[in-house]
Amino acid sequence: MKRVTEYLKSLLLLELAAGLWVTLKYLFKPKYTLRFPMETIPRSVRFRGLHALRRYPNGEERCIACKLCEAVCPALAITIDSAPRASDGQRRTTRYDIDLFKCIYCGFCEESCPVDSIVLTDILEYHMERRGENVITKPQLLAMGDRFEKSIAANRAQDAAYR
Amino acid sequence: MSAQPKDTAPPVEMVEFEVDGHPVSAPKGSMIIQATDAAKIPVPRFCYHEKLPIAANCRQCMVEVEMGGKLVPKPQPACATPIAPGMKVFTRSPNAMKWQRNTMEFLLINHPLDCPICDQGGECELQDISMGYGRSVTRFTERKRTVTDENIGPLVATEMTRCIHCTRCVRFVGEIAGTYEMGDMSRGDSHVIGTYIGRTIESELSGNVIDVCPVGALTDKVFQFKARAWELIAKPSIGYHDALGSNLWLHTKRGQALRAVPRDNEAINECWLSDRDRYSHQGLYADDRAEKPLIRKGGELVEVGWDEAIAFVADGLKKAGSDIGALVAPMTSCEEGALLAQLVRGLGSDRIDHRLRVQDFSDGGPSGATFEMSVEDVARVSAALIIGSNVRHEMPLLNHRLRHASRHDASKHPASNPAHYDISEVHGAKIFAINPVRFEYNFELAGEKVFAPQDFVDAMLCTAKAAGVQGDDRALAEAIAAADDKEDARQWVAALRDAPSSVVVVGDAVTQHPQASWLRVLARAIAEATNSAYNELPSGANAVGLARVGAQSSSGAKAIFDHAPKALITWQTGSQDASVPAAYDKARENAEFYVYAGAFACDGVKRTADAVLPLGLPPEIDGTWVNVDGIVQALAAGSALPGEARPGWKVLRALGAALGVAGFDFVDLKDVHARIAGDLSGQGTGDRGPGQRLPARTTAPEGVLARVATVGIYRTDAVVRRAKALQAHPLNRAPALRICADDARALGLLGGVKADVDGVTLPVVIDAAVPKGCAWIEAGFAATAALPPHGAALSIKAVTA
Ligand code: SF4
Ligand code: SF4
Ligand code: SF4
Ligand code: FES
Repeated sequence: MKRVTEYLKSLLLLELAAGLWVTLKYLFKPKYTLRFPMETIPRSVRFRGLHALRRYPNGEERCIACKLCEAVCPALAITIDSAPRASDGQRRTTRYDIDLFKCIYCGFCEESCPVDSIVLTDILEYHMERRGENVITKPQLLAMGDRFEKSIAANRAQDAAYR
Repeated sequence: MSAQPKDTAPPVEMVEFEVDGHPVSAPKGSMIIQATDAAKIPVPRFCYHEKLPIAANCRQCMVEVEMGGKLVPKPQPACATPIAPGMKVFTRSPNAMKWQRNTMEFLLINHPLDCPICDQGGECELQDISMGYGRSVTRFTERKRTVTDENIGPLVATEMTRCIHCTRCVRFVGEIAGTYEMGDMSRGDSHVIGTYIGRTIESELSGNVIDVCPVGALTDKVFQFKARAWELIAKPSIGYHDALGSNLWLHTKRGQALRAVPRDNEAINECWLSDRDRYSHQGLYADDRAEKPLIRKGGELVEVGWDEAIAFVADGLKKAGSDIGALVAPMTSCEEGALLAQLVRGLGSDRIDHRLRVQDFSDGGPSGATFEMSVEDVARVSAALIIGSNVRHEMPLLNHRLRHASRHDASKHPASNPAHYDISEVHGAKIFAINPVRFEYNFELAGEKVFAPQDFVDAMLCTAKAAGVQGDDRALAEAIAAADDKEDARQWVAALRDAPSSVVVVGDAVTQHPQASWLRVLARAIAEATNSAYNELPSGANAVGLARVGAQSSSGAKAIFDHAPKALITWQTGSQDASVPAAYDKARENAEFYVYAGAFACDGVKRTADAVLPLGLPPEIDGTWVNVDGIVQALAAGSALPGEARPGWKVLRALGAALGVAGFDFVDLKDVHARIAGDLSGQGTGDRGPGQRLPARTTAPEGVLARVATVGIYRTDAVVRRAKALQAHPLNRAPALRICADDARALGLLGGVKADVDGVTLPVVIDAAVPKGCAWIEAGFAATAALPPHGAALSIKAVTA
């Protein structure tokens, strides 16, 4: 008996039809696919993406070269040189490099920073074209901060209650 | 012959007591904290420092004490409570912990929360102790006080808001440095530590306040904001700017020497470091640092590879045959000195020397003998005679030992409890001095005589006569017999002779003197006659070691200056290292083939050298140095060599091999060291042979002024001269003609005119420290390079505009 039903099933291509039915259903359902880069998935405010160095509203860079982020970084991705700033003798970095190939996006640097200077933005789309571009420098990081300050601040404001 | 200090201290009585239930015994009179430190029981503290007098003003070290079965109701400061038999101390009882925590909270009330920008962060005693005894949340919400900073000079950065008023710095500057330049002012909330008038600290040991300061109030200005304690790699190293060979830790980051801090060694530098050794690393990174080998091709210096440079130099030296000479910097390592001597001798010459500032070689020059009394013992002498030495500048930490001796009576047990002191009975060593100018010592002198260089030998003869010196040489005996008999000289000599231990310290103004052989013979005879140790300061940082490995000849550097060899090698030297810089310049100009092997390609080198071989400097190279006490200190390279610079021994190995000189087939430095190890532990070339005759005495013409040419404290060698912060320090006085008012009046130099000294225009400073008949112009400056050496007559006139 079993053999007969199986024979009929395969003769009438019933399984194929069942499969195609699923396809047909999905054809008329709303799509999961996002049209990147015009569309992206929503991201948590805690998302840990590309780094940025922030400034105070008056334009002064926040980073005071305390080197805590460099010390805490488990991947040794951060390299800082510091010196008294020529103009006013304040403690400032002369070099602030992050190697994005080494970075594991753990966010420890952000946690350790006493002045909320180094932050991980929610940006995840970036690429490098040439050797060496994986190391981002202080001007690049500050530029990132300047450009995305609004979203950085908004994300931090949303998360503040849980910190 | 040499008087060793007798151990006059009474046998130490031990006291048995109990700490936290453990039996502990410590010498009678010591404080609880000294006993617990020895027993390695932790007690938190800020103001207590083992080398400083006790102040007990931070109150962090509170402990609970039980005496005779009864608890003392009040907290006791462990640093100021003497131990007693049967006492019970509790360092961690609930009460003790409560007191310690409370003190910590008080200390933190006014301490700013600026660890992230504080250079002390990561190596801060306050951070450490507050981790153990502090609360995690502050209860103090009022405003913290702030304090205005003072600029106390180019070496020490201040941030006085961070100060916790432990007064360690005040006690250091007063008790150890002896300059009393800091103090604490006002009370309560306005209590501040400072210099009263916002002046630069002018001590030669000022950097040590950085180490004693438990917080970040006083930090290293040269190192400011450069790195964090946890990034630094500490390499054991030594100072090489005086013959003490102070032990230090060189802190490096990515191969760069960023700072130096003292490495404890009771026999050498205790826990201190002179500013010269602490800040000289800045000179390593001077702009004119030689980084590539250069050779002269068609009149121009061009950069070449090492192989080509070595071949070029070997070729040039070969052409000169045996007519070659080598001038070696006194800070050169023993290995390099030995190899260079071997090279020069292998080429058939004997003209190598490191005593560039010495003029009189008639007795073979300074012998490079070690101190007869160790530096450590100098702190316990009862009498001392300083002859021609500004010890404070020549060897700051030897001066510290002398100061210590002058303030402490060695025959008394060193009770640290001031209550056991009878102040009226404390009288330290009697220190006498015979100097060409009145040097500024930081201790009381029992007697001082100042003689212009031309009268110096007479003064010494007079002292020798008082000491009853006979003189083993006819000229000497006659001269002593003819000397004046002076009452005060006899008193000095008696004080030296009667002291249980005494020392004669002979310094630079003798070494540089044109009649140094007379002075040395007399000084040694006085030391012998008074049963004192004879401590002659070596003529340079590694003079003892270089003498032992034979990097000197009896004719001395003078022979090279007087008759320039065809081929001249200067090894790490500069013209300002010579007593007559002009002679040095002439020698290198007259040499047909001049090789500069060293670290700095300055303009003079670039103008004259046929080849420049860039070498590494001491913290960058391996080597061995011998200090004044004969302590052999081997050093491993600490920081990275710049550019293509190479360690000197490698250069010499290549050069020796290229020239086919025997003995250059070794593989590494260990082989060289093994070869010289025997010499290093020996006693060097020794003293003047008894049969050697003294040169005829010269008498200076009447009426002319002789030059006193002591070397400026921060002008001693090429590296120090390039350390910017030291150069900016007020102890580094700008070159000037210092002269007494009488001589100035006679020469018409009063009223702000400038002086023309042998064609060099110098500002005039009227200085009461200078005796009549001489002019004090410190050496080591480019501006004074054209002047004649120490003791020579100067022709001075006023500059008429
Ligand atoms: S995210 Fe983590 S790994 Fe990346 S730089 Fe920061 S601390 Fe380093
Ligand atoms: S980014 Fe923040 S943690 Fe890193 S050095 Fe600057 S202030 Fe310190
Ligand atoms: S400056 Fe430093 S050493 Fe001096 S009193 Fe203040 S905390 Fe103590
Ligand atoms: S260490 Fe005892 S009171 Fe400061």
